[in-house]
Amino acid sequence: MKEQVLKKLQVLADAAKYDVSCSSSGSTRPAQDGALGNAARAGVCHSFTQDGRCISLLKILYTNYCIYDCAYCINRRSNDLPRASFSVDELVDLTLSFYRRNYIEGLFLSSGVVVSPDHTMERLIAVARKLRSEHHFNGYIHMKAIPGSSAELVAEAGLWADRLSVNIEIPSENNLKLLAPEKDFSSVLSPMNQIHQGIELNKEERRKYRKAPRFAPAGQSTQLIVGASPESDFDILRLASGFYKQQNLKRVYYSGFVPVNPGDSRLPAIQKPPLVRENRLYQADWLMRFYQFRFDEILDDRHSFLDPNLDPKLAWALRNPSFFPVDLNAAPYEMILRVPGIGVRSAKLIIANRRFGSITFSHLKRMGVALNRARYFITCRELPLHLRDIDPVYLRRKLSPSVNPKVVQLNLFEHA
Amino acid sequence: MPEMETSPLSLIYDGSFEGFLCAVFEAFERRTIPQALVPASRPSQLLIGEQIEVETHPNRAERVRNGIIQRSSHRNASLVHVAFLSELPGVELLLLRYLVKLFNDPNGRYWQNMLDDEVFELVQIARKVKKEVHRFHGFVRFQETADGMFFAPIDPDHNIIRLLARHFRARFSGQQWIIYDTKRNYGIYYDLHTVQEVVLQNHRIDFNAGNVASEVKALDEDFYSRLWKEYYDAVNILERQNHKQMTNLMPRRYWKYLPEKNQAGKLK
Repeated sequence: MKEQVLKKLQVLADAAKYDVSCSSSGSTRPAQDGALGNAARAGVCHSFTQDGRCISLLKILYTNYCIYDCAYCINRRSNDLPRASFSVDELVDLTLSFYRRNYIEGLFLSSGVVVSPDHTMERLIAVARKLRSEHHFNGYIHMKAIPGSSAELVAEAGLWADRLSVNIEIPSENNLKLLAPEKDFSSVLSPMNQIHQGIELNKEERRKYRKAPRFAPAGQSTQLIVGASPESDFDILRLASGFYKQQNLKRVYYSGFVPVNPGDSRLPAIQKPPLVRENRLYQADWLMRFYQFRFDEILDDRHSFLDPNLDPKLAWALRNPSFFPVDLNAAPYEMILRVPGIGVRSAKLIIANRRFGSITFSHLKRMGVALNRARYFITCRELPLHLRDIDPVYLRRKLSPSVNPKVVQLNLFEHA
Repeated sequence: MPEMETSPLSLIYDGSFEGFLCAVFEAFERRTIPQALVPASRPSQLLIGEQIEVETHPNRAERVRNGIIQRSSHRNASLVHVAFLSELPGVELLLLRYLVKLFNDPNGRYWQNMLDDEVFELVQIARKVKKEVHRFHGFVRFQETADGMFFAPIDPDHNIIRLLARHFRARFSGQQWIIYDTKRNYGIYYDLHTVQEVVLQNHRIDFNAGNVASEVKALDEDFYSRLWKEYYDAVNILERQNHKQMTNLMPRRYWKYLPEKNQAGKLK
């Protein structure tokens, strides 16, 4: 019996690992005396994988059997691999035992689609319901809304989970159709919109009745795979920006395509996942969420891919020399935020401290500002190293990471 | 307030935060910044000049603490405590210099001025300690004993164990637990009602390996820690290997008590 659970865990954790979302933040599920667990607003990482990703949740599939045959997915129907399914009780026991030992912050439950989307969704809900109502578990639960499952089930899922997510996977409808013939955008977008409405409605309700049960209090997220299909970074950021604006998503995760199904002619033949591109997309995403950049400021029709050699904020600054220099002792927060080398924390520190005196280079240095970049874009009391006096082409070369052949990442589709 | 002069005096306190606050009181009374302010447990041969052992009076400590709160805020007073718990060499003198400026500030804004050296350094040190507290919210690993107690050994860089109490009290209020600092040899124990400090006498725990002795371990304990290791190995994506990032986020000095990391020879 125990050996069986161990085998299932190996199979179903292995199969779940390509979902890169790991966050356990954004929910405050208060502790109840005598019950188990709570959720911390900031989230807690409990361990880190060999590939440097955070482990905060028991990320697992209910089953890796699947009726679909998506080209990019390890669990597709046509793959010959060990299959397993947990029982509801096994998953509940695993979650509680791991949680009690402080291994995890909660559960991330996903699944292959068995029998039907509704059938699968019901199984996931059963696990969460049992954890919450029978075991008084207040830890974090992230649940997948299975594309195509019915509105009632999605509504119930939101009552038990902290966060819900539906993965868009492929950033354009055409390519989704090509790679996942049984799926389409509407099967993803309709639960996404429903969750969004549920959250908005719930906010309204809780304004009237403070005790109204909460619906997905940590919001919703989605994931898309980068590099399995030929969309440009511009397309991807436009899509993500739409999700943030229209569906009010908390996060969009970008998962560099890992070639798990070599030999499928619909997919590019790459050896290594495009990790640099993935990283640049995350940086651009941060610019949209925390630095008040619009997606079409980061890229445009002429520049449709992020520069692998420059972080996107620096690339924007070099294209917009007229914005600089920014006077740190006078400029508003929003302008200081746009200076390369200055992050949210140091921008806030600068604003909070300049009333005590002039900010100098040495202050900036100990606030953690990356002066090697920032110095070309600012004036404070010391002499300005004005960007307009310096050739942006020269700066671009100087501020790029040293020429490293590993960084150069050819995009297979760029010229397709 | 008159100027404080530096002197070749050394103040020795009992190592507790209260004791430290009493030493601050002493320094203010003598209007002197001593050349050293150190706990009795860390005597130094290098001390020259007069040495004074400061006695700990709870009411004096309270007066200093209230003074800090009056001139800044509750939050800032706890920041002083947190920085003190860093146990970094010289932190006591830094805090004293900071407190002298705080108590001499006429307009009550001094503590917010990060352009000041002492304020800046204090905030940096407190950040470091709080970062470790946050890490240990994740890196504590409990083992269940046969009588249903959950035990976790830790050995943090800073003396953070008291700062863990609130988080774990809230999260695990339905089980008894001990979190034990094996380096400083004391821990916190939650008995289903309150958290208190304990020193373990009867060692059923191998502090080197961090294991509860097998005769007092719960039957399922090894099974679950094995499941956890298997889980840890299963979620690794080989194609994305990034050892450097992993050790940045989870430095090797913390691996000793992490079941997924501490097997001998497992240095993948």
